[in-house]
Amino acid sequence: MAKLHLKELRKSYGTVDVIKGIDLTIEDGEFCVFIGPSGCGKSTLLRMIAGLEDITGGTFEIDGSRMNDIAPAKRGVAMVFQSYALYPHLSVYENIAFGLKVRKTSASEIKTRVGEAVTMLQLEKLTERYPRELSGGQRQRVAIGRAIVGQPQTFLFDEPLSNLDAELRVHMRTQISELHQRLKRTMIYVTHDQVEAMTLADKIVLLRDGRIEQVGTPHDLYERPQNLFAAQFIGAPKMNIFKLTDECQNLRENLKLDRNAHYFGIRPDSFEIVQPGEGILSGKVRLNEYLGNACLIHADIEGHDPVILEQPVGTKITTGTTISLNAKADNVHAFAKDGNRIA
Amino acid sequence: MSAAIKGPSLTLKAREAISGWLFVSPILTGFMIFFVGPLIAVFYYSTTEWNLLSQQSHFVGMENYVDALTRNDTFWNVLVNSLVFAAGLVPLNMLLALGLALALSRSVRGAVFFRTVFFAPVITSAVAWAIIWTFLLQHESGAVNRALSVIGINGPNWLHEPHWAMASVIFTRVLKTVGLNMILYIAALQSIPRDYTEAARLEGANGWEIFRRITWPLLAPTTLVIMVITVVGSLKVFDHIYLMTGGGPQNATLVLAFYIYEQGFKFFNTGYASALAVILFVLILALTILQTILKAARK
Repeated sequence: MAKLHLKELRKSYGTVDVIKGIDLTIEDGEFCVFIGPSGCGKSTLLRMIAGLEDITGGTFEIDGSRMNDIAPAKRGVAMVFQSYALYPHLSVYENIAFGLKVRKTSASEIKTRVGEAVTMLQLEKLTERYPRELSGGQRQRVAIGRAIVGQPQTFLFDEPLSNLDAELRVHMRTQISELHQRLKRTMIYVTHDQVEAMTLADKIVLLRDGRIEQVGTPHDLYERPQNLFAAQFIGAPKMNIFKLTDECQNLRENLKLDRNAHYFGIRPDSFEIVQPGEGILSGKVRLNEYLGNACLIHADIEGHDPVILEQPVGTKITTGTTISLNAKADNVHAFAKDGNRIA
Repeated sequence: MSAAIKGPSLTLKAREAISGWLFVSPILTGFMIFFVGPLIAVFYYSTTEWNLLSQQSHFVGMENYVDALTRNDTFWNVLVNSLVFAAGLVPLNMLLALGLALALSRSVRGAVFFRTVFFAPVITSAVAWAIIWTFLLQHESGAVNRALSVIGINGPNWLHEPHWAMASVIFTRVLKTVGLNMILYIAALQSIPRDYTEAARLEGANGWEIFRRITWPLLAPTTLVIMVITVVGSLKVFDHIYLMTGGGPQNATLVLAFYIYEQGFKFFNTGYASALAVILFVLILALTILQTILKAARK
């Protein structure tokens, strides 16, 4: 069992604050994903949980026990590094058995546990190979195997798929998801890839500049982003944001927006193209990108930033055409002047 | 009908090869004249009895080798001295270099200052270094014995007692050369990704286990190179011995390179000195081959 509790957690390097007060609870067995742009502090936060970075302020607890000054090996965590960190001079078997050896586990126990791990990860035929003789996906599996054998209560993944090609990334993502279902252990996963976050997470923690912007399920983050940053970070292409200027007050009425709304957002897939004059916005098509399963239409809207809308394949719109756009009020997200969502 | 475009007469590969040879030809010429030429000459001289003063030379075949290896007791003493010097210097140098590198490879306060302190002797003149230490190790007035006398120890006559003389030249040579190996080890340590030690820490390894199971094996290629460089350097030592002990006392520090010098330039037995030089060359070559074999075995 491992329920993690972060209270007002802070990290500074000299005068530079990297983590600026994180309050978060990760439930036992939960798959929690830290996501955010580069430099937002997600990896630092993970390393603080692992014990590889000192905690400058606040408290970190596992199952109610304070962990701030507990050695990494005694926190019951295992970590899969972005680089995999496989020891190049040790074979696959020796890499997986390393932690058990240093913990003076009996030889028979090591054999049993490493055997189980290699079977689970389909590494049976690779045990005598060295890391340099493995493909990226195989190395990744060995790194996971090394984490599994220690039977930790919490698994930490630091951008584990970022070095893999697109196809392998999808494959390994499903393997990690299946691993979580099988082991039912708490997992914390750092990524900047929103597809990984959306597909793997029970809970997403969206970070920016050392602070949490939003915590919630993938559905929450997509359907009810709490601020403009969350609205634009989750979703590809990102949400179209419009500023409600004095010149477009008719939009407020047409979309039934709150009187405090200062911005509104519409996701690319929430637009519909209607007959000329029937829409809330009209724009001139600048580009039509064919994606195979859909097409992305880029249009310039007078008085606003350009928009992107996702339309079914076969939508026959040529560059230069003027289109009229509409969106259901339910699909419109309203934000106040400070950028926070208006319920 | 248009005329076919005529390409260059040589293929791209041939033109690149010619350019390549032109680029390396200056260094190749120097290498042939200043290295391969003298090497062949030494092999030839080693089969002659040639006195540099009388300028008389005649072919004796392998006689110089047979004499050195079977009839000359001094040669064997010299060889033993060289091996003792190497056996004393190499482990001491490498252990000290590794220890210093482990202490100074991290970005801690003062690390750069101490790296400079320990590297400074490497770039110091060997003559200056030897002279300073000769003064420091003097029996009555040397700073070392004076310091020892403060704690009640009556220091020996370091450079004039057979046992202490060898120990003294080894020790001072280690201090002179350890900086270079320290820098090589620091470079190797800093190239080991931090992820390895962090992963090991997470898996429960303590500092010693991380060193024994991760750091030391990953330093193996560097250790091999350092070992060969240091062994070769120790077998070739000349200036240090020449300046500090002159091979004495009672030939206690008479090593191979110095003996070659004595035979060639003091007694003018050029042929004999050449044979000794070839033996030293073979010894060093054997160690270089050993390095290659060890590297291959590791792979």
